[in-house]
Amino acid sequence: MSTKRERERIELLQGTLDLLILRTLRLGPAHGHAIAKAIEHGSDRVLAVEQGSLYPALHRLIKRGWITFDEGTSENNRRAKFYGLTAKGRKQLQIETNKWDRLAHAISRILRPAPQE
Amino acid sequence: MAERRRFGWARRNWALDDLNRDIREHIEREVQDNIDRGMTPEEAHRQAMLAFGNVALIKEDTRRVWVWAWLDEARQDLRYAARTLRKSGAFAAAAALTLALAIGANTTMLSVLNAVLLRPLPYQSPEQLAMLWTEDPTQNLREARSALWNVEQWRSQSQSFSDMAVFDAMGTTLTGAEGAEQIVGASMSPNLLSLLGVQPVQGRSFSTDEIDQQQQRPVLISHRFWQTRFGGSRDALGATLVLNGVPSQIIGVLPADFRAATLNADVWTPRTMSEGGRARPGVPGPETWSVIGRLRPHVTLAQAQAEMTAIARRLNDQLPAVERNRGITVVPLSLQIVGPESRQALWMLGGAVFFVLLIAAANVASLSLARSVVRTREMAVRVALGASGGRIVRQLLTESLLLGAIAGLLGITLAIFGIRLVRGFGPANLARLNQVDLDVRVLVSAVALSLLAGIVVGLAPALTTLRRDPRPSAEEGGRSVTGGAATRRIRSALVVAEYALAIVVLIGAGLLVRSWWQVKSIDPGFKPERTLMNELSAPAAFNIPQRIDLYQRVLEQIRSLPGVESAGIIGDFFIGSSREYVLTVEGDDGTVPQRLRLARDEVSADLFKTLGTPLVRGRFFSIADGPSAAPVAIINEALARRAWPARDPVGKRFKLGSQDSDRPWYTVVGIVGDMRLQGLEREPVPQIFESLAQTSPRSVDLFVRSSSDDPTKVAASVRAALHQVDKDVALSGVAPLEERLGFYLAQRRFQTLLLIGFSVVALLIATVGIYGLIQYSIATRTQEFGLRIAIGAQAGDIFRMIIWEALRLTMIGLAIGLVGAWWLGRAGSSLLFGVTATDPLTFITVSLVLTLVAVAACFFPARRAMKVDPIVALRVT
Repeated sequence: MSTKRERERIELLQGTLDLLILRTLRLGPAHGHAIAKAIEHGSDRVLAVEQGSLYPALHRLIKRGWITFDEGTSENNRRAKFYGLTAKGRKQLQIETNKWDRLAHAISRILRPAPQE
Repeated sequence: MAERRRFGWARRNWALDDLNRDIREHIEREVQDNIDRGMTPEEAHRQAMLAFGNVALIKEDTRRVWVWAWLDEARQDLRYAARTLRKSGAFAAAAALTLALAIGANTTMLSVLNAVLLRPLPYQSPEQLAMLWTEDPTQNLREARSALWNVEQWRSQSQSFSDMAVFDAMGTTLTGAEGAEQIVGASMSPNLLSLLGVQPVQGRSFSTDEIDQQQQRPVLISHRFWQTRFGGSRDALGATLVLNGVPSQIIGVLPADFRAATLNADVWTPRTMSEGGRARPGVPGPETWSVIGRLRPHVTLAQAQAEMTAIARRLNDQLPAVERNRGITVVPLSLQIVGPESRQALWMLGGAVFFVLLIAAANVASLSLARSVVRTREMAVRVALGASGGRIVRQLLTESLLLGAIAGLLGITLAIFGIRLVRGFGPANLARLNQVDLDVRVLVSAVALSLLAGIVVGLAPALTTLRRDPRPSAEEGGRSVTGGAATRRIRSALVVAEYALAIVVLIGAGLLVRSWWQVKSIDPGFKPERTLMNELSAPAAFNIPQRIDLYQRVLEQIRSLPGVESAGIIGDFFIGSSREYVLTVEGDDGTVPQRLRLARDEVSADLFKTLGTPLVRGRFFSIADGPSAAPVAIINEALARRAWPARDPVGKRFKLGSQDSDRPWYTVVGIVGDMRLQGLEREPVPQIFESLAQTSPRSVDLFVRSSSDDPTKVAASVRAALHQVDKDVALSGVAPLEERLGFYLAQRRFQTLLLIGFSVVALLIATVGIYGLIQYSIATRTQEFGLRIAIGAQAGDIFRMIIWEALRLTMIGLAIGLVGAWWLGRAGSSLLFGVTATDPLTFITVSLVLTLVAVAACFFPARRAMKVDPIVALRVT
């Protein structure tokens, strides 16, 4: 079923984006645009994420209690929301990173199996 | 980062607030970046929008995150609640059952109130309809039927009413191929249906110029009659029925729920509204009718009443002296159909059953409070894991709401049975009871009631949980010496409230039971046991001498039957038609005519003997009082008191009509005791009995007293004997007299039984409540008791202490409840009979019973507490 496959794909993407956001925020609170730029630059623009999709992801993370936000003033004196990790989010980042490593490792082993001795 | 805890919609709003601004700011920053990189402003903007994506869709996606969040949390709560309830099976079952019983009773009562009192009558603009009655204060008559002459005057003079119509029941014999039978017939003026705004479902209604012609009189039939006699076929229209010997053509079928006020007849014949040539002009004839009127729009009842009072005063001046002192009473139709007394009884029952719900809710709240103390540790763990107070309150409320919903579902199921019970066993004379059902309005109220009960039940534990500091409990493993003191206080208050409410309901039931005994002990003036009642009517073609002969032969035949002690005939036992007569009494001091409402009946010689009605003075009728002898009469004591005050009427003469009328003089030969024929609680009506051998109505009531306890055993032989005498005699309504008297007490029995039922449930729940509290109190104080015993308290002291606690709560509840009962009793005193609303016997008995029950409920837990082993009790700390 195509809808199911689609949903799985989105799930995967979502999860990845969530992980990237958490990773970005580990360095300190940031506003939405800065997070988008950081992800873009950090991945050498390989991951050209649609900037808008950041917002549903941010809210999902708030909902789960992994990040929270504060009203603040940005560099050019504009009011903006600064997102930051919660204690729970910090723990979650650890879990998600481990998960990702295991997944990446497993997938690469399937894709490029070690030559038989 | 500020980490304030927010939940549900609050959290959603907090996060989504300024989403538009956030996105705008984001895009503006991107535009600025692009310009810095050297793009033209237009290109910079285009690229920024491209990089961002579909703004509207993203906003929507972001919002959706929160919709699901809220629902997710609710679903999570619900799943957790369901698991918790399943785990605590005994508590959940007890709580759900208690609430379900109360909700079921409330839903049943609500559907009764809804159908009987709240649902509009099945007429067009029913609020404009009112009944008009003749009033005669000198006879204590408020709602008497009116003569057509009067109605004609009212109708032509009144400005408040757009129209008036008349109707009334009349005994009707239907003669068909299988013989003659009695059916319920009635007459209406041709304008009645259009006045009510009712259309026949088949055919047409009467046209205004249709008066009772002798040939092919038109007739309307009821829906029921149409279904049972014609199978709902269209062939019914145009068919001919022979009613009272007159061929009548069916012109239409009335709607299924059609009633003229409460009158539900099978056949309706038209009746002109003018007196015609029946009486002297300007003098009301003897025939009287029920009158219904439609108020003009925007005319209030008070205005109509004022105008009718003025009209009555004007008419009085035109009438002969005996006709004066008349008033007109205007009664709204809805109030006519369900009278103020029934309304009050129903609201009283509704209030009582709501009290039961309150008691049940208090009890379940008390139970779940006890449970919340046990769960203190669970809550402490959850707080430690990051749940906030608000989250836990929500969880607890979800739990009790789920409980309420389960109870509501069960309760509504119970109500379906309750409604069936009410429809089957409710008093037949309570109008519209057959229309009781679960409609949308009742269902919505039932659901609201269930959820409200759920919230009320969950509120107390939720609030105490919020206030309690969870940490020590977590450390102590849920066992605390002082723990639960606050909870016990709240539970005590709940138990006191339960008791107070239960007492009000119990005292209400007690007063009704006392009234019931008072009514039951009223002597109806006859002995209904072992007596079979039969309604029979002579063939329409019979004239008076033929009927006299027929009844004579019927009585002889039946008296000779085995198992029959005696038999008698009376014209109309239940006084369907007491009327007003001018009674002229021949006195020593000249004759004085007076207009009196009285019942006239014809009785056979043995009737009073058969019914067991005592002869006070004089004699019964005899064979000698035949058609050719001088007219004689027996009167009842009520008439003797009224028409011959302080004199012996036996041997005196009177006539019905003014002195110069050509009506015959009757001689009073005997006085019999009063019979309460319109209900035990009604005063007896003045009655005149004529000899059945001198005047014979077409339809009569035949009473047969059997020698066995079950009078129905002779029913078959009575029927056979009648047909042996004449096969054209129509027989109907064969039933033991005791059964026919059921309606005397039906409504009172209904409300008394219901209130007894409610009060038993109330007492039961309240008792379970106090038992649970004492049990709980003992459980939480085991160490205290151990300590007390260790330092020298006797087992008896502990026992006394516990009983005293129970007694103290009972006494407080009792005091509050007695005041409440006293206060509410005054409002409901019209429902009582022969006892006052503050009847000391009831108050004392109920107080004693309640105290005893409370002490008994605590006796066993207290006994167990006595046996607390101080070593064991102290070691567990």
